[in-house]
Amino acid sequence: MKIVAVTACPTGIAHTYMAAEQLEKTAKKLGHSIKVETQGAMGIENKLTESEINSAAVAILAVDIAIEEPERFDHIRKIKVPVQAAMKNPEAIFTGI
Amino acid sequence: MKEMLQKHKQYLLTGVSHVIPFIACGGILIAASLAYAFHFHYVNAHGGPDISQCPPFVQDLALIGGKAFELFPAVLAGFIAYGMAGKPGLVPGFIGGLIAGMPQVVGDKNASAGFLGALVIGLIAGHIVNLLKKLPVPKFFKPVMPIIIIPIFSAVPVGLLMLALDMPIAKIMVGMGHVLENLQGGSQILLAMILGAMIAFDMGGPINKAAFFFGAAMIDQHNYAIMGACAAAICTPPLGLGLATVLSRKRWTEEQRESGLAALGMGLIGITEGAIPFAAGDPFRVIPCIMFGSMVASTIAMVGGVGDHAPHGGPIVLPVVDGRIMYVVAIVAGAFTTALAINSVKKFTEKTSHLEGAKS
Repeated sequence: MKIVAVTACPTGIAHTYMAAEQLEKTAKKLGHSIKVETQGAMGIENKLTESEINSAAVAILAVDIAIEEPERFDHIRKIKVPVQAAMKNPEAIFTGI
Repeated sequence: MKEMLQKHKQYLLTGVSHVIPFIACGGILIAASLAYAFHFHYVNAHGGPDISQCPPFVQDLALIGGKAFELFPAVLAGFIAYGMAGKPGLVPGFIGGLIAGMPQVVGDKNASAGFLGALVIGLIAGHIVNLLKKLPVPKFFKPVMPIIIIPIFSAVPVGLLMLALDMPIAKIMVGMGHVLENLQGGSQILLAMILGAMIAFDMGGPINKAAFFFGAAMIDQHNYAIMGACAAAICTPPLGLGLATVLSRKRWTEEQRESGLAALGMGLIGITEGAIPFAAGDPFRVIPCIMFGSMVASTIAMVGGVGDHAPHGGPIVLPVVDGRIMYVVAIVAGAFTTALAINSVKKFTEKTSHLEGAKS
């Protein structure tokens, strides 16, 4: 399954990137293809393109703050979870898809 | 109801996330210039550091840091409203926050509605903009809404409201300062213990940030003890866990010993997140131990009269700390408490031989 994801925590220096890594690892393990955009203290990195979002089946938003450009995900199914959930138990998120 | 609170927490964290670099920039520049003044004996009649006698460059640094602090309530309120209402939230948020930062005279003290006022007005600004967005308008009128109507009709009520709230909230801030200054003995220790536990609990997550932000905001109100207690607690989880891997090598795997060294490094520069690799694998043993260690550190710092002028923790802020000896004592005690606690918990719960146990 094609998946896109965004991670963002309040400080944006550690948890944002750890959550992104966990999502990528877990997706690989479960045989999904995923691209994770991080919105940390450096701003948007690894930005998702419009076509990537449109071709994805679902968007995982592992965020504790309001994200930049949320309207990009208006037309796609979203799963919203706290950043902690993506770090500690990423598999549960994927089984919920 | 629960969902609404969750959402509001997210709005507040959006503001906090944008304002942290401002506090760091302002706090460190001001602290550095104060440290310079103190070190080279540019002091006033009371023996305190006096920036105005310093060389121009140092004065400029203090001024630049001061400007970062001046922006603090505006940026906080602006981005709370932004998190809530998007771009149109910025105008009333920033203006409301700027008004919240205006100096007020309460009794014989200078104060401002500061961060508390900014939190409140940021949320109100977001709500007002969201209401205005919902107004039914004819299509030809739509383009005027975001650039003229919403900015004006949100900024005016938000501004008026904040002007009215400035004095009452400033009084609350002064009152809070009084309470904190007069905390002694038991209640002071209790506050320090709560802060320490919060700092360690989620290692840089939202609960940690709540305690940290309280300390940072108190710096703005010239109360440095809260941040002092936080600063000591911030670094002991990674320092303590790193120390544990050094003290009792056989209790830890090769991989953990490596992350132990990384954790020591992160502890020195005050990054609580360094403890996460340990806690992620073994939360029920690790988290109570690091909370215990941080509580010891914050309590010693608080009782020892440690003050921190920079919104950051760990040994790295030592130059800008008041009560340096007690600060070091607090960190060392907290780190050893964490290390000994986790090693002995592991000893009782893991099958280890007597020989391995003897090392710790």
